[in-house]
Amino acid sequence: MLKLEPIVWPLFGLGMLVGGLLYPAFLLVATLAQPLGVLSADALSFERAHALASHPIGRVVLAAAIAFPLWAGAHHVRHLSIDLGGIARDAWFGALCYAVALAGSVLAVMAVVRL
Amino acid sequence: MRARVDAMKSSRPPRTRTADPTPPPNFWRRGNYLPYIAFGSCGLLLFAVGFGLLRLVWTLGSGDPAAWNAIFESYGHPLYLAFHAFALVALTWFTFRFFRLFPKTQPPKLGPLPRPPDSVFLLGLGGAFFVATTLASLVLGGALP
Repeated sequence: MLKLEPIVWPLFGLGMLVGGLLYPAFLLVATLAQPLGVLSADALSFERAHALASHPIGRVVLAAAIAFPLWAGAHHVRHLSIDLGGIARDAWFGALCYAVALAGSVLAVMAVVRL
Repeated sequence: MRARVDAMKSSRPPRTRTADPTPPPNFWRRGNYLPYIAFGSCGLLLFAVGFGLLRLVWTLGSGDPAAWNAIFESYGHPLYLAFHAFALVALTWFTFRFFRLFPKTQPPKLGPLPRPPDSVFLLGLGGAFFVATTLASLVLGGALP
């Protein structure tokens, strides 16, 4: 696990920044305002969302907004496990956390490529 | 040539073994540990929101408007609304706690310049949060093309 730290640390830092800057707006607009009917029906219609997401800038933003926070999440959950349960299971649990983040990152790239 | 991490490790167990370090029971309820543990727990929310966003983008790529609309209809369920409201509050708190911690992670010198005061970092990061949140909300909300 120690050998992974130099790779994971920048992804973790970027994930905190990207997630912190983008997730509150996403949660506020897409998951709260839209279902509560605050927005117009067209704001997040399939056609508009697809046009936004498939733009080159949209693809980069979306890939970053999915992948980096997963690494931040993995690092936090790994350290939460160490804090609450000790270091004994870190070898497999830490590997599992990073494997989930890696799988999610690969899927994120695939998702924006197939738009 | 670099030394191995375990280069100084004894070849055999020492005479007196100490137990692995473990925190005292219920340590997380004491002092500042509770916000520290809550901050770490926000990693679970980052996982949840990240995979939720992945699901949305994957559905967009499938080219099925009905599936897209079904996701947003499901977001109207009270449990989803409660979870998303909680995630919004928790991740906003998480972000500003991260902003407060960020200056402490910076070296005393940034290139040739001394590290600016913490308030400069806080202002910059807070400003970035305000701009990013406003811009993303306007774009997602349909006010900007």
